Amino acid sequence: MAGAKNHDYHILPPDIWPFAGAMSGLVFTSGMVMFMHSDYFPNWHLVLGLGIAGLIATFFGWFSKIVNEAQAGDHTPVVQLHMRYGMILFIASEVMFFVGWFWSWFDFALFPSAMSEVVDGVWPPKAIEAVMNPFDLPLLNTLILLCSGTTVTWAHHCLIHGDRDGLKKGLWLTIALGVLFSAVQVYEYGHAPFGFGGNTYSSAFYMATGFHGFHVLVGTIFLIVCLARTYKGHFTPQQHFGFEAAAWYWHFVDVVWLFLFITVYVWGGWGAEYH
Amino acid sequence: MESFDAMTFGDIARKPLTFLTMLVAAVSFTASPQAVFAQDQAVTAPVEAPVDAAPADEAAPAAEAAAPTFEHYGPDMIKGQPTPGGLGFQEQYTANGNYALWMHDAILLPIIVVISLFVLGLLLWVVARYNRRSNTVPSKTSHNTLIEIVWTVIPVLILVVIAVPSITLISRQYKSPPENAITIKANGYQWYWGYEYVDNGGFEVISNMLSDEEALSAGEPHQLAVDNRMVVPVGVPIRLQTFGADVIHSFGVPSLWFKIDAVPGRINERVLTIQEPGIYYGQCMELCGARHGYMPIAIEARPVEEFNAWVLSQPGGTTPELEAAAAAAEAAAAEAAAAESEAEPAADADAATPTV
Amino acid sequence: MATTADTFQAHADEHHHDADHKPGFFARWFMSTNHKDIGTLYLIFSIIAGIIGGGISGIMRAELAEPGLQVLGHVVNFLGGDGASFDQQGHMWNVLITAHGLIMVFFMVMPAMIGGFGNWFVPIMIGAPDMAFPRMNNISFWLTVAGFCSLLFSLFVPGGTGPGAGTGWTVYAPLSTSGSVGPAVDFAIFSLHLAGAGSILGATNFITTIFNMRAPGMTLHKMPLFVWSVLVTAFLLLLALPVLAAAITMLITDRNFGTTFFDPAGGGDPILYQHLFWFFGHPEVYIMILPGFGMISQIIATFSRKPVFGYLGMAYAMVAIGVVGFIVWAHHMYTVGLDVNTKMYFTAATMVIAVPTGIKIFSWIATMWGGSIQFKSPMVWAMGFIFLFTVGGVTGVVLANGGIDDNLHDTYYVVAHFHYVLSLGAVTSMFAGFYYWFPKMSGKMHSEFLSHLQFWIFFVGVNMIFFPMHFLGLQGMARRYPDFTAAYAEWNYVASIGYAITLVSVGVFFVNLIYAFVAGKKAPSNYWGEGATTLEWSLSSPPPFHQFETLPVIEDHHSADDHISTKPATA
Ligand code: HEA
Ligand code: HEA
Ligand code: CUA
Ligand SMILES: [Cu+2]
Repeated sequence: MAGAKNHDYHILPPDIWPFAGAMSGLVFTSGMVMFMHSDYFPNWHLVLGLGIAGLIATFFGWFSKIVNEAQAGDHTPVVQLHMRYGMILFIASEVMFFVGWFWSWFDFALFPSAMSEVVDGVWPPKAIEAVMNPFDLPLLNTLILLCSGTTVTWAHHCLIHGDRDGLKKGLWLTIALGVLFSAVQVYEYGHAPFGFGGNTYSSAFYMATGFHGFHVLVGTIFLIVCLARTYKGHFTPQQHFGFEAAAWYWHFVDVVWLFLFITVYVWGGWGAEYH
Repeated sequence: MESFDAMTFGDIARKPLTFLTMLVAAVSFTASPQAVFAQDQAVTAPVEAPVDAAPADEAAPAAEAAAPTFEHYGPDMIKGQPTPGGLGFQEQYTANGNYALWMHDAILLPIIVVISLFVLGLLLWVVARYNRRSNTVPSKTSHNTLIEIVWTVIPVLILVVIAVPSITLISRQYKSPPENAITIKANGYQWYWGYEYVDNGGFEVISNMLSDEEALSAGEPHQLAVDNRMVVPVGVPIRLQTFGADVIHSFGVPSLWFKIDAVPGRINERVLTIQEPGIYYGQCMELCGARHGYMPIAIEARPVEEFNAWVLSQPGGTTPELEAAAAAAEAAAAEAAAAESEAEPAADADAATPTV
Repeated sequence: MATTADTFQAHADEHHHDADHKPGFFARWFMSTNHKDIGTLYLIFSIIAGIIGGGISGIMRAELAEPGLQVLGHVVNFLGGDGASFDQQGHMWNVLITAHGLIMVFFMVMPAMIGGFGNWFVPIMIGAPDMAFPRMNNISFWLTVAGFCSLLFSLFVPGGTGPGAGTGWTVYAPLSTSGSVGPAVDFAIFSLHLAGAGSILGATNFITTIFNMRAPGMTLHKMPLFVWSVLVTAFLLLLALPVLAAAITMLITDRNFGTTFFDPAGGGDPILYQHLFWFFGHPEVYIMILPGFGMISQIIATFSRKPVFGYLGMAYAMVAIGVVGFIVWAHHMYTVGLDVNTKMYFTAATMVIAVPTGIKIFSWIATMWGGSIQFKSPMVWAMGFIFLFTVGGVTGVVLANGGIDDNLHDTYYVVAHFHYVLSLGAVTSMFAGFYYWFPKMSGKMHSEFLSHLQFWIFFVGVNMIFFPMHFLGLQGMARRYPDFTAAYAEWNYVASIGYAITLVSVGVFFVNLIYAFVAGKKAPSNYWGEGATTLEWSLSSPPPFHQFETLPVIEDHHSADDHISTKPATA
C-alpha cells in the first residue's frame, strides 16, 4: 500500500501546457499591443501570429489530454463533479463579464449625454439615423438560437438513452444552427445602418453583441469537438461531461442572447427608425 | 531654486523633530539618501517654470491695461493654506466647513481614537494577564452569546451616532443655489485652471502656477501661488460649476471644505459661500497627467463692491446690474430683442471653446 | 488531538519514500501540478515583486523627502527618457506610483495570500491530496507571471509624456485613453487581463476544491477559518474580476478602435469607468485582507492554546464582509458629482462593514482572553496586525462619511488609511503567516530572535512612514504629487526616514531567510505544540510530495468549533 493512492482524486503528472499557454497569452497580448501600435512595431504580425498559434496549440494540446484522460478512466465520479463545479463557476464569471457590458449599455440608454453633439440627449443617439429592425433578422436569430437550444437538448436525450444516431443528428443540427446564427450576424453587421465607433450606441452595441458572437463561436467549436468525439465513439450514457459542458455553455450563450435581444435590440432601439 | 531648497532643508533641521533624525542616524541607510540629495541639488537642472506660457500671456497684459486701479491682496491676506507641521484640518471659512470640522473634531476623531486605544488596551491587557506564565491553563470558552451581542450592537449604535450628523452634512452640502447666486465656472485644463465668469460677461481668467522664485518674491507659498487668482465675492452664494476640458481634474480647496471633480462631458455644480475676505489656496485633486502637481488654485475672496470693480477691470467684464441698465436703455431705444440675443450666444460660444 | 495527529504522522511516514518521488528540476518548477510547489513558486514570485514594489516606493520616498524634484530626473534617464524635461519627470512620478500600486496589489499581496498560502494550506487543511484542477493551478501562476512581465514591458515604451504608464493603479479614463498615447498603457492594461484571468481560474479551483475535496468528516462548519477566508475571497474574485475585465477591455477599444465608452465627444461617460472599476476595486480590497484575517485566526488560536472564539460568527462575518463589499463601491467616488441620495446611501452602506469587522477584532481578542499565550514570532506579528488594522479600519470609517470625504478624498489621509490596512495590515498578516508556516514549508526553523527583531523594527518603521500621512492629509496634501509646498516638508521628511527603518526590517527578513536555509534546525512536524491543531501539523515538515494518499478522517465532535483532530482512515 505504500505510495498507493487510496482516493478517487485525479493526481496529475507534470505538464508543459499551462506554462506554454500562459506564455502564449503574454505573446498574444503583446502582439495585440504591437498590432495596435504598428507604427512603433512594424513586426507585429510575427508576434501576434505566434501568440495565436501558441494559444491554439495550447487549447488543442491541453484539451486532447483531458479527453485522453477521460477515455482512460481517470475521471472518476468525484473528478466529474469537480468539472461540473468548475464549469458552473466559469459560466458565473462569464455572466459577470457580460454584466459589465450591459451596465454600460443601460448607462448610455438611460442617461444619454446632452453634451455630446452626436448623442444630443436622445436615445438612440442623434447620430444613429436608423437601427436594425429587431423583428427582422435579430428575431430570426433569436428563433435560430432557441431552436438550437432544443436540438442540443434532443442530442442530450439521445445520448442518455444510448441513441448515438440521434446524438449525431442533434449535434449536427445544433452546429448548423450555430453557424447559421453566426452567418446571419455577420450579414447583419455588414448591413448595419451605423458604423463601429464614434458614439455610445454603436460602441456598446457592437462590443456587447460582438462578445456574444465570439462566445457563439467558441460554443460552436466546443460542439464540433463533441461531434468529433461522438464519431470516435466517446461518451457513454453514464459519462459524457464534455458534452454536458458544451450544452451548458450553449444554453448560457442562448440566455445572453435573449437578454441582448430584449434590451439591446428591442428596448434599446425603441422609437427609432428601423432600417 | 537652490537657495530655496537649502532654506527649507535648514528649516527642517532646526525643528524639534530633529530628534527623530538622530534616532535614525544610527541606521546606516539614512545617511545614503541624504548624500544623494546633496549631490542632486548640484546636478539636477533647475525646474523649468511649469507654466503654459501661451494662454497666460493672452490674458495678463490685457487685464493690466484695463485695470490699473484694482489692487490684489498681498500675502497678509492669505487665510487658507497649510501650516508647517500641522496636525489637523485647515481652519474653515465656510458654514459647511465649520459644521464638518466640528463633526470630525468633536465626533469622529474622539470615537476613532477611543476605539483604537480600547483595542490597544485590550491587547495589552491580554498580554499582561493571559501570557503563558500568568495563566498556565487555558480556558476552553469559545462562546458567550451575550458578549457577542454586545460587540455587535454597540458598534451599530456608534455608527448611528456618526450617521446622523453625517447625513445632515451631506444634505447641507447639496442645498440648491438661491436666486441671487452668481455662477462661476472652473474649467480644468492640462495643466492650468480657467475661471469663467458666466454671469459677468462670460470672460475667462486663465490661472497658471507661479514658479518657485516668483512665488517666494511675492511672499506666497510655492506650488500654491498663481499668476491670476480666481476672484470671487465674499458672503454671496457662488454657484460653482466645474468642467474638465481634456481629462478629469478636481477643484479642491481644503480651507473651504470644497472639492468637486471637473469631468469632461458633464458639468458639476455646488454652492460655495465664503465667509471672510482672504486668499484661499487649493490644488488639483485628481490625477491628470504629468503636471497634475502643478495646477494650484488660488481664490481671492473680496467684498462684493471690490469684486465688481475687479470684474469691470477685466476685458468683457460686466455685472448683472450694468447689464440690466444697459438692457433697459436699449429697450427704450426699442432694440431689446437684438441686444439680448447678442449677449447670450457670445457667452455660449466662449463656454464651448474648451470643450472641443 | 496531538496524539491522534501523531498517529497519523506515523502512518504518513510509512510511505514517505514513494510519496516523495519528485520530478526533475524543469518538470518540477515549470510544469508543476503539485499544489505545494506551485504555492512555493507563488511565494517566491511575491517576494520578488515585493522587493521591486518596495524598491519603487523607496524611490518615491526619496523624492518626497523634501520639496523640489531631486530623484525623478535620474529615473527618467535610467529608463531612456530625457531627465531634464520637466514633463517627463512629472510623468515618471505617475509611472512610479502606478507601478508601485499595481505591483503591490496584484503581484505581491494577492499572489502571496491566495496563490502562496492558499495553495499550500487549503488542500492540506481540508485533508485533500491536492487541488481539484492541478494543471489549471499551474496556469494560474504562470498567467500571473505573464501579467507581471507585461507590466514591466510597459515601463520601457512610450506612454504619453514619457516612458511608462502614468495613469495611477485605477487607470481612470480619459487620462488612460485619450490622455496617454503610446503602447505603455496598453501593456499595463493587458497585464491586468492576464493576471486577472489567472486569478479567475484560481478562484474556480479554490471553490471547487473546498466544496468537493474535504476529507470525510470535514464539514463546512468544521473547516479551519483560513479555508473559510479563502473560500469567500475566491467568490469575490470570481464575481468582481470579470467586471474589471470588461471595463479595461472598453479602455482598450476606446484607445485603439474608436469606441466611445468613456469619451464624452461620442456621448461616453468617464464616470462609468469609475463605477465599473470600483465595483471590482472595492471587493478587491477585501480580497487582499480576508486571507490575512484567516491566517490571523489560525495563529491567535494556536498560540493562545484555545479554540477560536465564536467560530461561526467569525466565518459568517467574513461572508457578510464579502456580500456587503459588493454594494459600497461608490465611496471611492464621493467627489465625482454623485447625487445627494446616492451619496447618502453609500455613506450608510459603507459604515455597515465596520460591524462584521468589529466582530472579528473582538473575537480575536476574546480568543486570547483566558488563553495561555505564548509570544512566538507569528503571534507577535498577529497582535501587531490587530492593532494596526484597527487604526486603518477606523480611518476608513471617517472616509466613509461622504461629507467628510469631500475634504479628504485624494489626499494623503486616504494614502495613510489604505497603507494601514495594506502595508501595515495585509503585509503584517503575511509575515505572521510566513513565520507560522515557513518551517512547515521548508523543513527549516527560522530564527525567532530575528523574527521578533524584524517585527519591532518594522512596527516602528511603518508607523513612522504612514502615521504622519494622516496629518498631511488633514492639512490638505494631495495624492499623486511629486512635489509639495514647504508646509508639508516636516512630516514628509519623517515619513521618508521611516522608510529607511522599514527597509532595515525587510533586510532582517532576508537575513532570517538565509539563516534558516543555511543554519536552521530541522523542523519537527508540529513545532508550535499542542495549540496547533489543524491538519498541516499532522504531516512532516516539509510534508511529503503527495500528502494524504489515504484520506484522513475528521472525528465527530459535539461542537462545531472544537479542536479538529484526525485519525487515519481504516481502509
Ligand atoms: C485591505 C484593504 C482595505 C480595507 C480592509 C479597507 C477597509 C475599509 N475602507 Fe478602504 N481603501 C483601501 C483599502 C482598504 N480599505 C484602498 C486601497 C483605498 C484607496 C484606493 C485608491 O483610491 O487608490 C481605500 C479607500 C477607501 C475610501 C475612499 C477614500 C477616498 O478615496 O476618498 C473609503 C471611503 O469610504 C474607504 C473606507 C473603508 C472602510 C469603511 C473600511 C472598513 O472595511 C474598515 C472596517 C474596520 C474597522 C472599522 C476597524 C475594526 C472595527 C472595530 C474595532 C469595531 C468598532 C468600530 C466602529 C464602530 C467604527 N476606503
Ligand atoms: C499592498 C499594497 C501596498 C504596500 C505594501 C505598499 C507599501 C508602501 N507604499 Fe504604497 N501604495 C499602494 C499600495 C501599497 N503600498 C497603492 C495601491 C498606492 C496608490 C497608487 C496610486 O495612487 O495609483 C500606493 C501609493 C503610495 C504612495 C503615494 C504616492 C502618491 O500618491 O504620490 C506612497 C508615498 O509615500 C507609498 C509609499 C509606500 C511605502 C513607503 C511602502 C512601504 O511599506 C514599502 C516597504 C516594503 C514592504 C513592506 C514590502 C515587503 C514585502 C515583501 C518583501 C514581500 C514579503 C513576502 C512574503 C512574506 C511572502 N505608496
Ligand atoms: Cu489637474 Cu490633476
Ligand atoms: Cu472601498
